[in-house]
Amino acid sequence: MIFIRFFMPIFFVLVSICFLIGTFHLPKAKLGDPNGPLYFPAGVSIFLLITSFVYLIQEWRQQQKYPEFKRLLSGRTPFLIVSTLVLGLLYALVFLTLGFLVSTTLFLAALLFVINGRSKWLLNLTVAVLFSMSAWVVFSQWLDISLP
Amino acid sequence: MGVNVQSMLEGLMTALEPGNLLWLAFGGFLGTIVGMLPGLGPATAVAVLIPITFGMDPTTALIMMAAIYYGAMYGGSRSSILLNTPGDGSAIAATFDGYPMAKKGQAGQALAISAIASLIGGLIAVIGFVLLAKPLAEFALKFGPAEYFLLMLFTLSAIVSLSIGNMTKGFISMSIGLLLSTVGVDLQSGVYRFTFDLPQLSEGVDFLVVIIGIYAVGEVLYNYLTIDQPLDKKKRDVGKIWVTKEQWKRSRWPILRSGPLGFIIGVLPGAGGSIASLLSYTTERQLSKRSDQFGKGAIEGLAAPESANNSASVGALIPLLTMGIPGSGTTAVMLGAIIMLGVKPGPLLFEDNPVMVWSLVNSMFIGNILLVLINILLVGLLVKILDTPPKMLYPLILVLSFVGTFTMNYSVVDFYILLLFGVIGLFMKILKFPIAPLILALIVGADMEQNFRKSLILSDGNLGVFFASPISIVLILMTVLSVCYPLIVNGFKKRKRTVEQRSTNI
Repeated sequence: MIFIRFFMPIFFVLVSICFLIGTFHLPKAKLGDPNGPLYFPAGVSIFLLITSFVYLIQEWRQQQKYPEFKRLLSGRTPFLIVSTLVLGLLYALVFLTLGFLVSTTLFLAALLFVINGRSKWLLNLTVAVLFSMSAWVVFSQWLDISLP
Repeated sequence: MGVNVQSMLEGLMTALEPGNLLWLAFGGFLGTIVGMLPGLGPATAVAVLIPITFGMDPTTALIMMAAIYYGAMYGGSRSSILLNTPGDGSAIAATFDGYPMAKKGQAGQALAISAIASLIGGLIAVIGFVLLAKPLAEFALKFGPAEYFLLMLFTLSAIVSLSIGNMTKGFISMSIGLLLSTVGVDLQSGVYRFTFDLPQLSEGVDFLVVIIGIYAVGEVLYNYLTIDQPLDKKKRDVGKIWVTKEQWKRSRWPILRSGPLGFIIGVLPGAGGSIASLLSYTTERQLSKRSDQFGKGAIEGLAAPESANNSASVGALIPLLTMGIPGSGTTAVMLGAIIMLGVKPGPLLFEDNPVMVWSLVNSMFIGNILLVLINILLVGLLVKILDTPPKMLYPLILVLSFVGTFTMNYSVVDFYILLLFGVIGLFMKILKFPIAPLILALIVGADMEQNFRKSLILSDGNLGVFFASPISIVLILMTVLSVCYPLIVNGFKKRKRTVEQRSTNI
């Protein structure tokens, strides 16, 4: 809990410092005020830096509790989140190669197997096939949106 | 000044075209379904369903998107009444008396009064829209770059101070949104900023991908935390969907009072449905002779917030369409979708595209009536949808999010950005960071910066330009007030608590 309480404010402090350094390394504008592109991101970065320090102090003094963070690490939750992200990445990799219909059916079926369980395999497969086909008909045929 | 009757009639004819009526009903129905699913609110409904409007004529798309928006507002209260699970903040007040009514076997009456109150609230707000939108658009024409910059600053500060969670987190969320809006080519100088030589970032971070990532993917990932909790499998017999004469007598004045109240709150930046419904609930409890029954199934305790909530959702469209300033997270999502349609909201929208605006206004009138019919006639089907297992539903939402994202830029690179913002959305929810300031800042950030720099160019770098007009001064005062007000209130609360603690110790 201590890790998450202090990780976030420190992370934001680092983000603001990175943006601030990045801002001062931006090339100068050739048109108008040479520092024109710098003002806004520099101002916002400084504001983020200040608020992140305030956030750090608040976490230090108030010791806020995040009960949901414990739930994030318990039961099936971490498995479901990691599986969804991995399947999403795989979907991105095969989407153009396999085409919309095949890749979406596979992605949805895999998600349903992970989330809904293997015991309901027939229902999962039926929903995956029917939903993917319906989505293809709606987007590609009715709405004229080009899908791979 | 005033309403152009010819444009209004043309708008009515456009709204009554069979195709538009069909999409209006379909949008309202889809919005109701997504809005009523526990854990999914109007912002998610609009975000997930945006791709359906692709390829449509902008007027039809706008009509449909607005129907999804207020359909989701209607839907949100279904799950509040039947499951005690509000879809979003604006449906919370419906649980106070709606759920006790359902527990007492009056679910049918609760659903009926909720639909009727929403209809009347919606219609009051549409009338308010007709009266207020045009004058406000004409007033907005007086705004120069400095005033626009300050208006955006005020909107952001108001949304931060009124959003749930602490203000520091709200400001951090806002700053991240503003910094993300600076990614890409700078429009005034052509300088590439924070693109890391990635061509995909040259046009900036697509806010619609961020919106779908945070609101849809993030919401699904967040709902995984409770996915294995046992479901309420109680059979929901809603009974007859109508109200008795006595119930109507008790509800009519609260509905009529809460409509205008909700509308005014909806127009204010940063406020919106949550505040409107909670304020109307509190007001009615204070005014009612039966205040002791509030929270135990008092029908007026449901009617008032429902009227205010729907009224606020229409009111929120006024600053959105007349100034291009969204007042809440959901309207920020709407703004993103409108911009994507190639429509530029702002004061000139009423001059350049009057038929589009009046078609939307008329469609809201028709849509509110259609939604009551949908909610009353199809109540059996809607209640069955509530029984859809989340384990089946969440994968479908994820697929819709991916497909929707692809149809925006036809690039799978957006899939990675979608997943990244899904994770960010999850952590923001867990760590109680308000999401609306980030989304709003990301959408208005670029315009805000351009207006800031234009003001400085026009004044030769003199910062006095931001204090030069009465409008600017009023906006600065409102910004300071919006930031200081919660601090003052918190200070008073702390002082009161200390005094109470001291007196108990003595």
